[in-house]
Amino acid sequence: MLGTVVHRVSQMLFVMFGISVLVFLIFFATPGSDPAARIAGRNASQETLAAVRADFGLDRPLPVQYVLMMKRLFVTRDLTSFVNRGWKVVPAVIDVAPVTLSLVTGAAVLWVIGGVVIGLLAAATKGSWLDRGLMILGLIGVSMPVYWLGEVMNLLTQSRFHDSWVFSWVPPLGYKPLSEDPGGWFLTLVIPWITLAVLYMGLYGRVLRASLVEAGQEDYIRTARSKGLSETRILIYHAFRTSLITVVTLFGLDFGALVGGAALLTEVVFGLQGIGKLTYDALLNLDLPVIMATVIYASFFVVLANAVVDLLYAFLDPRVRAR
Amino acid sequence: MSWSKSTLGGLAVAGALLSWNGVAAADEPAAPGTILSPQQTQVAALKTEHKGGTMRLVARSAQGTIDPHINYTLQYWQFYQSVYDGLVTFKHAGGADGFTVVPDLAEAIPAPQNDGKTYVFKLRKGIKFWDGRDVTVKDVVASFQRIFKVSSPTSGTFYAGIVGADKCLQDPATCTLDGGVVADEAAGTVTINLTAPDPELFYKLSVPHAVILPADTPTSDLGTVPAVGTGAYMIESFDPNKQMKMVRNPYFKEWSADAQPDGYPDVVLYDFGLTDEAEVTAVQNGEADWMFDQPPTDRLGELGTKYKDQVFINTLTAWWYAPMNVNIAPFNNVKARQAVAYAIDRKALVNLFGGPALAAPVCQVLPPGFPGHVDYCPFTKNPGAEWSAPDLEKAKQLVKESGTAGQKVTVIVEDTAISKSIGVYLQSVLKDIGYDASVKPLSPNIQFTYIQNTNNNVQMSVSQWYQDYPAASDFLYILFGCDSFHPGSDSSINIAGFCDKAIDAKMKQALALAVTDQAGADKLWTEIDKEVTDAAPAAALFTPKHIDFISKRLGNFIFNAQYYWVITQSWVQ
Amino acid sequence: MMRPPRRPRDMTDSTAPMGGLASGEQGRPARRSRGPWATAFLKLWHDRAAMAALGVVLLVVLACMLAPVYAGRVAHTDPFRSNLDGQFERNGEMVPVMETSTEGLGLGFTPIGPTWDFQAFFLGADNQGRDVMARLLYGGRNSLWIAGVATVICLLFATLIGLAGGYFGGPTDWVLTRLLDVLWAFPVYLLAISLSIVLIAKGIDIGPISITADSLWLPILIIGIVYVPYVARPIRGQVLSLRQSEFVLAAIGLGVPGWRILIRDILPNVTTTLIVFVPLLMALNMLTESALSFLSIGVQPPDASWGTIIQDGQALLYTRPIVALAPGVAIVITVLALNILGDGVRDALDPRAKLRLRSA
Repeated sequence: MLGTVVHRVSQMLFVMFGISVLVFLIFFATPGSDPAARIAGRNASQETLAAVRADFGLDRPLPVQYVLMMKRLFVTRDLTSFVNRGWKVVPAVIDVAPVTLSLVTGAAVLWVIGGVVIGLLAAATKGSWLDRGLMILGLIGVSMPVYWLGEVMNLLTQSRFHDSWVFSWVPPLGYKPLSEDPGGWFLTLVIPWITLAVLYMGLYGRVLRASLVEAGQEDYIRTARSKGLSETRILIYHAFRTSLITVVTLFGLDFGALVGGAALLTEVVFGLQGIGKLTYDALLNLDLPVIMATVIYASFFVVLANAVVDLLYAFLDPRVRAR
Repeated sequence: MSWSKSTLGGLAVAGALLSWNGVAAADEPAAPGTILSPQQTQVAALKTEHKGGTMRLVARSAQGTIDPHINYTLQYWQFYQSVYDGLVTFKHAGGADGFTVVPDLAEAIPAPQNDGKTYVFKLRKGIKFWDGRDVTVKDVVASFQRIFKVSSPTSGTFYAGIVGADKCLQDPATCTLDGGVVADEAAGTVTINLTAPDPELFYKLSVPHAVILPADTPTSDLGTVPAVGTGAYMIESFDPNKQMKMVRNPYFKEWSADAQPDGYPDVVLYDFGLTDEAEVTAVQNGEADWMFDQPPTDRLGELGTKYKDQVFINTLTAWWYAPMNVNIAPFNNVKARQAVAYAIDRKALVNLFGGPALAAPVCQVLPPGFPGHVDYCPFTKNPGAEWSAPDLEKAKQLVKESGTAGQKVTVIVEDTAISKSIGVYLQSVLKDIGYDASVKPLSPNIQFTYIQNTNNNVQMSVSQWYQDYPAASDFLYILFGCDSFHPGSDSSINIAGFCDKAIDAKMKQALALAVTDQAGADKLWTEIDKEVTDAAPAAALFTPKHIDFISKRLGNFIFNAQYYWVITQSWVQ
Repeated sequence: MMRPPRRPRDMTDSTAPMGGLASGEQGRPARRSRGPWATAFLKLWHDRAAMAALGVVLLVVLACMLAPVYAGRVAHTDPFRSNLDGQFERNGEMVPVMETSTEGLGLGFTPIGPTWDFQAFFLGADNQGRDVMARLLYGGRNSLWIAGVATVICLLFATLIGLAGGYFGGPTDWVLTRLLDVLWAFPVYLLAISLSIVLIAKGIDIGPISITADSLWLPILIIGIVYVPYVARPIRGQVLSLRQSEFVLAAIGLGVPGWRILIRDILPNVTTTLIVFVPLLMALNMLTESALSFLSIGVQPPDASWGTIIQDGQALLYTRPIVALAPGVAIVITVLALNILGDGVRDALDPRAKLRLRSA
């Protein structure tokens, strides 16, 4: 057991290391990425540029710069941004992590419940209008770009109907920490939760329905049916469990990526300062220290989620355990 | 300066250049027992009635270091006015009056001595930093040294004329400015010695790069730690990802209403992180009092109608232009460049920016209202003083004559809504006159340095320039002078790479003439403007106006020509 | 999606009624089967919903292919040329395409809204004065092409990786799963931004494929690769359990080579998953393409794709929401049709479905 854990952890480190090297190389291969002129200020003289370059160690060879950056990121934890000078990256990442976590966890609860309900209902009433209707709604959800939906939500809730009773409870955009103002925290996040969950609800509902329909054709389900068990019981207790594998796989991938900052456009649209927004700004500004920190943070969660999902396989499907 | 990190802009008045000689005396606050003028009484009454409250400002993001000696963006220079002081400063008044230089930490604007190479400033007594210490001449000297020690962007451009600056530029760490900035503790004076007379000195001393900080301020970039200042307000906290908070300076006593007036709000909160659409909505809902960014074009309609009482539009001396690389094909051919200048429909561009209420077409380099500006537009259907319509036939003909027809051209623009739409339009125009054109948007932070570096072989781009102060040299010499062209560097503000020896010599001649004969220099600049415009190293597009959208509760909106809205002189209750 | 292994296709079940020709009685010697493909095709043919969906898909593709005809003959417009001072005829008089506001402070510059007239600006104009409907049709070509090819690439690689990893296990699986981890964790947007800047100056040549800044291969490859882990992992999971089923173990015991088992026994059982993913991937790919346009990667202006039109529409959201809405609706219709069609295909290919239809 310990051996597997150690094994897994070393794999994770390997992946994260690989990605960090790749990011570093990509950055320096990009023309216009040299931050010295942007750090030095507009119309700086050539001497100022040279001084800044030396100051930031930008004139050292790449491997040296990489090692120094990693050291400042992990060991001394005083790595600072190229754009907002003096701003420590590691505390910033830790500071904004709860925002993303709040957004993603709430949305995940919504979409899992929603997706499961949609999938179960659609599979149970296969071929009926309810089934068709749910699938159509689900697919509409999948086809809407999340930033578009977010802007439309803002247009409706903050601008057009802000004064009407429907949306007057919607607070101004921005995040309120849970510890300071739980009510405000909840209210600020409701619309972003729904926006983020809409896409995944449709996806998961669709996938679950397909799995359930497949499972419904199994021999052992026919056996259960002929034994006289009710359809509902069959659906929920027997078919559902084995249909979960694909859904769980997808959930692991999605949740891991989202916690790591994949919800960047949602965060930008709703003014939530999370990891996603940090990543987005860093990308636009080619701010290497912040990019490094967010990429490593994100890859950690992705790899972790995948590891957890792999462990769950054995739990969900006994046949895999036999291996 | 480019918009997103721009510094100053404003209406220039010809007299302002000579203002250092005949500057209006600053209004001193009345000593107890004196009789106040009606105006002073009115101001005092307003101050009591509306004082207090928390003002909320929003912006999309922070803009770099909080260090006043380094930061070179309009966003920060706007609030530095209430936080820091220099020996002299720009008057905190509305309109063109805001361009007057008034004494700040110095008691008065000194008369020039030694043929204009020496100025003796007497320091006011009793002014304290916000940590309680007194301001002394030692702090003044240390601050000037610090400009070089932290490698301020303007150390080599604005302050290179101080005696001893050359040594400082070579070896910043040991900068003493020996002989350049001399303090006399007993007399309480600071003497500045220049290597040559400089008519623009007082402007240079008024910008935040020359504010006075305590002598023990660290001589490296402060980053996110605010420097201690003397202003009416102090920066209590600064998180570039979230918010900046300004509160009243507990040790502040108003010494000059013109230079550093006491403000109305008790607290100013400056939040970062909303998109521009969200900012507009926040101000509309009263959740914020003002937004830094310009509103997106699809909200302009409702702002101009439903919210027109909360919108202020002010002219700027700035321009949007399209530099063309004069050293590589196809724009190394002057006819090709002129063709582009003829073909552009500036009215369409003005509309893309938001309509004629927000911008005006231009053909030449110097903006209207500038010293030396004489209306001149050769690149239009009926050449004369003003632009009327594009001349596509002439443009196509010029392209044919130049022999560059059919060549590939890439236009590099910022990835913001307006720049992108201008870029797409330009691509369409270039195609119309015979080029194989494409447009490439880049993130704004990257685009500005990308287009300056000749290694990237950028043929054409779209950029903006806002003045630092009202001198023709700030446009013509900085943007098109040979000295601003540094091949292979990210900092080469002469983006077009234009270097004409004859014109350059004339520019240097005009700079020298300005010391003694400003009017004569202005005439020279007019000629230079004509010559540079004819050579068309860049296609002039339009001059923008500035929109400020404020909340219902905000009162007493004052727009200063130099730093735009004077934040703390408005009230929230 | 777990199901017990399907028996290999070439075994016919003589107790089940054949094709569409029902004999009505079980047990009577049936005619020779038409073969699984013909059976499937006939089943599909009779599935009305699926046929309707196929019709819709073909209609969409046809409309997009005919974009030049629409732009040239019907609407008389050049959808790639800025038309800021253009005018068109409405009710006999010439009306400007872009209107400057005259009320209040006179701020704002708005394109006209939908005229619902095919001859001119059916859906209105965008912020450069171009006909949205024409751009929508042209954009469909790019979107369908990009999303389609990316889906094919994604499914291809995902199947290969999923099959190999799930079946062979051991070091192969280890390497492939690590590869999937790296792919999913990789900051694709950074790579895309970097590549797009690199490509401004010069293109990249990989053998016969030449990639320049405006090449569609850049977004295709990026989008295709991004979702490989998303499909590969579920497939791998399925294969893992299939691996333990009796008939596979039996085949191994019989000495059937691995690749043969993969192709003949395991692959057919994962096709359902693949079929379900096709429309979902098309939707996700079109959305990813839209997100890439957000960062100005992929389809370059003035070319259009549904993603870039949505992008342009963002800047007009408060005044002309239809510009952002129309391509979204187009995506929904296409994805919906593909989904229904996919369901029909899945049902048609599944021999058990017939059984159920009878017994239900």
